[in-house]
Amino acid sequence: MAIPGNKDTRDGLLFSLPFLIVFVIFMIFPLVFGLIISFFNWNILGTPSFIGLENYFALFRDSKFYSSLWHTFEFVLMTTPALLLLGFAMALAVTGGSPLKGVMENVFFVPYIFSMTVVSTLWAWIMQKDFGIFNQLLVATGHGPVGWLTNEKMAMWSVALTTLWWTAGFNMVLFSAGIKQIPKEVYESAQIDGASWWQVVRKITVPLVAPTTVLCLILQVIASFNVFGQVYVMTGGGPYGTTRVLVQYIYETGFKYFKMGYSAAMSYILFLIILVISVVQYLLLGRKEEA
Amino acid sequence: MNGNTTVRRSLFRFLEVLCILVWLFPLFWLILTSLKAEGDVVTRTLSFWPKRLTFENYVKAFTSTEILRWMGNSIFISFVTMAVTLVVDAPMAYAFAKIRFPGKSILFWLVMAGMMIPFQVLIIPLYLQFNAMGLINSLASAIIPRLALPIGIFIMKQFYEGIPTALEEAAFIDGANRFTVFVRIILPLGKAAMATVMILSFINAWNDFLWPLIAINDTIKYTITVGIANFQGTHGTQYALIMAGAVIASIPQFIFYVFFRKNIIAGIASTGIKG
Repeated sequence: MAIPGNKDTRDGLLFSLPFLIVFVIFMIFPLVFGLIISFFNWNILGTPSFIGLENYFALFRDSKFYSSLWHTFEFVLMTTPALLLLGFAMALAVTGGSPLKGVMENVFFVPYIFSMTVVSTLWAWIMQKDFGIFNQLLVATGHGPVGWLTNEKMAMWSVALTTLWWTAGFNMVLFSAGIKQIPKEVYESAQIDGASWWQVVRKITVPLVAPTTVLCLILQVIASFNVFGQVYVMTGGGPYGTTRVLVQYIYETGFKYFKMGYSAAMSYILFLIILVISVVQYLLLGRKEEA
Repeated sequence: MNGNTTVRRSLFRFLEVLCILVWLFPLFWLILTSLKAEGDVVTRTLSFWPKRLTFENYVKAFTSTEILRWMGNSIFISFVTMAVTLVVDAPMAYAFAKIRFPGKSILFWLVMAGMMIPFQVLIIPLYLQFNAMGLINSLASAIIPRLALPIGIFIMKQFYEGIPTALEEAAFIDGANRFTVFVRIILPLGKAAMATVMILSFINAWNDFLWPLIAINDTIKYTITVGIANFQGTHGTQYALIMAGAVIASIPQFIFYVFFRKNIIAGIASTGIKG
């Protein structure tokens, strides 16, 4: 080896240094600092006072915390299966033999390049109760208008629908990458055996893209758990708090009511939930795949 | 070919065209609304095609809102984030891939664990930290927390590992030092990985919402995402104006997509990163 070993240690340190400074100051430190804050009664104006686990105990008595947590779960349950199915269906369409597959790939993916606030603003307009195109079409065809974003039962579905349109193309990209990795010979031999299209999808494509499905599922659940922007722009958490999600409650507690300690405690619960879910999903689905 | 398959084939094509039209409709509606006069938009009855098309909303968006400012802020933030991310993360990735130094594997796993941290967990401590540093309400506050990008390090490290060490050794024999090797050999050969990371960090910075919403209070310092989100609050029922703003806000991303379509899609397929 041309380089003496002692220089390697020095070079390793020098090359790591810029990153380490940023990583430690703006990722590791806040992570630890946040945990410490969560043990304090920390109002941005007053002096912080140590209260141990009191913030966490208070959370478990806070009905707004439970409802926000539930709305987040609701959003995850509404979006995840639909996004996986639609992403997979789109991937089948763009990896098949259709002459339109190039067009479809672009069209299905393109909403994802728009920023979340643009997408939410656009759909809030489409779903506007008096002048939005959805209700105008309903009224023109003799139906009553629907409170897409103002009806308590509808609002979360409307946000979910918006999210579906926005990010289905992302899952399509992942699934089509997975499908393209399946060896052509597998399909050819299935064709020789006279398998129908549906049989091929069910017996070959679905089982062989399982690793991609696991990846999509984990990414999707985590992304949906962190939902905030769509709700903030489209409903502001309304009507009557029925779409207030956990991240929004964290944001409001911290930056509207300035209860930093309480807000930090809540974000640690969110962190814990996401961590547990990813580990459980990884273990469960990972094992199933090996069997 | 028998009649049955022809029918089936046409049916499939028809369904595909239908799906394409349905998926494109919101974008079509975005652009059409932005080109209507405000009076043609707020009507009780269905008015699909406007009586006339007009650019007045665009003129108004440019002249009576801060949209150009916000675009400038976002472009500045995104480009600086992208550039500094590379300066900070690429040497780290190279060290992980090619240099033997004590504590390397522990450090690597620590960095990879960083990928698991949801940004939402950091907002309260980061806010207090930036406040104490006097950086709140500055464009720098939107840039700094995004610079350490663990996934970017992972992508570049994987790539650098594939570059033959013999190339570096030859350079060392010629008397080059680490830095020269890194700049002259590794960076040029690692362009593909660098492109993926650049795109990733640019898109992340451009789409960031929660953090700039918290960190920046001055209207003129808003990023475009925060500006557009607050449009509805300040321009209420001027839907045509709001849509024109949304179109303007999307132009840079659209250009970016047209130029880097292949890299963006390849980047997602290889890393599975959700913005």
